Amino acid sequence: MVALARQTLLYEWRRFLPAIIAVGFAGLLQLLQVGLVTGIFSSASVYITRSAADVWVGFPGTQSVNLGRTIDAGVEMRLRMDPDITRVEQFQWLDADWRGARDTGGVSVFVSGIETGPRGLMFQQLLSTPLRALLNEPGAVIVDRADLVTLGVNLGDVATINGRRVHVVGITGGLRALGGVNVLTALSTARLLDTAIVSDRTTYLVAKVRDPAQADAVAGRLEGATAFGSYAVWTAEQFAHRSQMYWIFDTGAGAGVLFMAAIVFLVGAVITSQTLVAAVAGSIREYATLNALGVGVNALRKVVMEQAFWVGAIGLLGSSILACGLFAIAWHFNVPVEISPAAVGACLLLSMILALVSGLAAIRTLRQADPASLLR
Amino acid sequence: MKPLRSAIPATLQASNIRKSFIAGGVTTPVLHDVNLAIRPGELTLISGPSGCGKSTLLAILSGLQRPEQGRVTALGHDLGKLDTHELEKFRLQHTGFIFQGFNLFPALNALQQVELPLSYLGLSAKDVTRRATQALEDVGLGPRMHLRPSELSGGEKQRVAIARAVAKEPELLFADEPTSALDAANGQIIIDILHKIARNRGTTVLCVSHDPRLINHSDRVLTIEDGRILADHASFSHAINIASKKEHVL
Repeated sequence: MVALARQTLLYEWRRFLPAIIAVGFAGLLQLLQVGLVTGIFSSASVYITRSAADVWVGFPGTQSVNLGRTIDAGVEMRLRMDPDITRVEQFQWLDADWRGARDTGGVSVFVSGIETGPRGLMFQQLLSTPLRALLNEPGAVIVDRADLVTLGVNLGDVATINGRRVHVVGITGGLRALGGVNVLTALSTARLLDTAIVSDRTTYLVAKVRDPAQADAVAGRLEGATAFGSYAVWTAEQFAHRSQMYWIFDTGAGAGVLFMAAIVFLVGAVITSQTLVAAVAGSIREYATLNALGVGVNALRKVVMEQAFWVGAIGLLGSSILACGLFAIAWHFNVPVEISPAAVGACLLLSMILALVSGLAAIRTLRQADPASLLR
Repeated sequence: MKPLRSAIPATLQASNIRKSFIAGGVTTPVLHDVNLAIRPGELTLISGPSGCGKSTLLAILSGLQRPEQGRVTALGHDLGKLDTHELEKFRLQHTGFIFQGFNLFPALNALQQVELPLSYLGLSAKDVTRRATQALEDVGLGPRMHLRPSELSGGEKQRVAIARAVAKEPELLFADEPTSALDAANGQIIIDILHKIARNRGTTVLCVSHDPRLINHSDRVLTIEDGRILADHASFSHAINIASKKEHVL
């Protein structure tokens, strides 16, 4: 079979270039947009995703980690009673005001008071045991290296949180937060920083389950009991998802993403379909000749759709390569980008649909391929 | 021995063909009750001034257009009774077309141009290539079959178009002004090829042209004016040919 679609695409590539670029950029924009939005909003759940806890317990109805209210610390007893739970820790989360060593004005910081023991669950992926142990010193804090400029400090510098002296004992990465700066301290330091914290209350309790696959069952079992006051239980996965969804949808970012996707799709489809229409129109006499020779209209439509498919495939290859490059640059500069294989698939699929819809629009041009019109 | 002309049954017959065009609310008749029968193994020429309806007649006889009235029978099929899909199938199996413009895909080389319609016939890839190569060799383009249209001269392009039309081995071959875009030498080559196809393969070749060179080389010339056939006669060369055959028979 003569590969008419591919041969024409290769030979007349200049004619198809606008369509390839349109599909490519549509794909690239979708990928970057989704990557940035998920990247930015995944930092809303950094407390959950960077920790080793399987189950989170907090105030009922909490929509996002940063919106936690305190619960009775006694719930810890209830958790410890469960045979499948191997470790329980408190996690204090508080909003505070930071004054750095350099003149930075007030900086809104989110203080995470965590257990400092060697097998501490919170931020297990970011803190080595020795680094975590440094927090044992009263007033010790650890910050993200990307936040040093914002906070106006360097390692070893002294600053104040809510007017109390703290000093930076360690620097780590991967802590960047949304709408503020994350600062890690020991639970004891966190309590000192906010006098409003009552000693028998905590923002969250986090727990490790013997078999992480059982986290769902354990969470379900704990959820019902109210003997220690009201609280809600989520698996880490549920709570992370809940936090991200809160940010994506309650901030309007989700609607923005969908709106942008629609615009990109529309503009891409207009350019691509016009290019394909022009390409079909340019060969209309040849198509009409084939039809005169008995090649059916359906076979000609297939050629146009195949062309649209290849335009889409080449465009997507280009956008994937460019996206990989841009993501690498973003990671290098600590810009939070993150994209799941499913989201990549969805973006690429959307762009391929764009190319095929444009192909369908171009098929209509084939109606002009009337062989009788060649006899004039 | 070849049977005499009148004894061969017609492969293409038209009876009472009428066609008119409507432009700006005015109906202009193009063909008035045309009747004709065309026989295989002959190069039949439809000749006449511009706008006389000869291209429309070709379109109707080849099944590309439907008449308002009348009947076209091609190879025993009543074309009026075939739907669009059946007509396409009929054309694929039985007819070849050569147009004034060569209408070759710029991206394909000569061999691929010829292979393209063949590949829809359900032949094996090997057969497709074999028949396409043969068709190109028959028109004298064997050594140039890997060149694209941009590398071929006008005459060569028309020969590729002829090879594309005849590689399917159609019983009916239609040509619309096949020589009008060509110089004298190339025009002559095309005429000779068309003639050979009619003679050697027994193909019904119907050609529309006002090229006087073609008139001298056709077996039969139909002259059309204002949508009517004015004259139908065996051409000079054909007359000689027939006469020599008759002598031979006697």
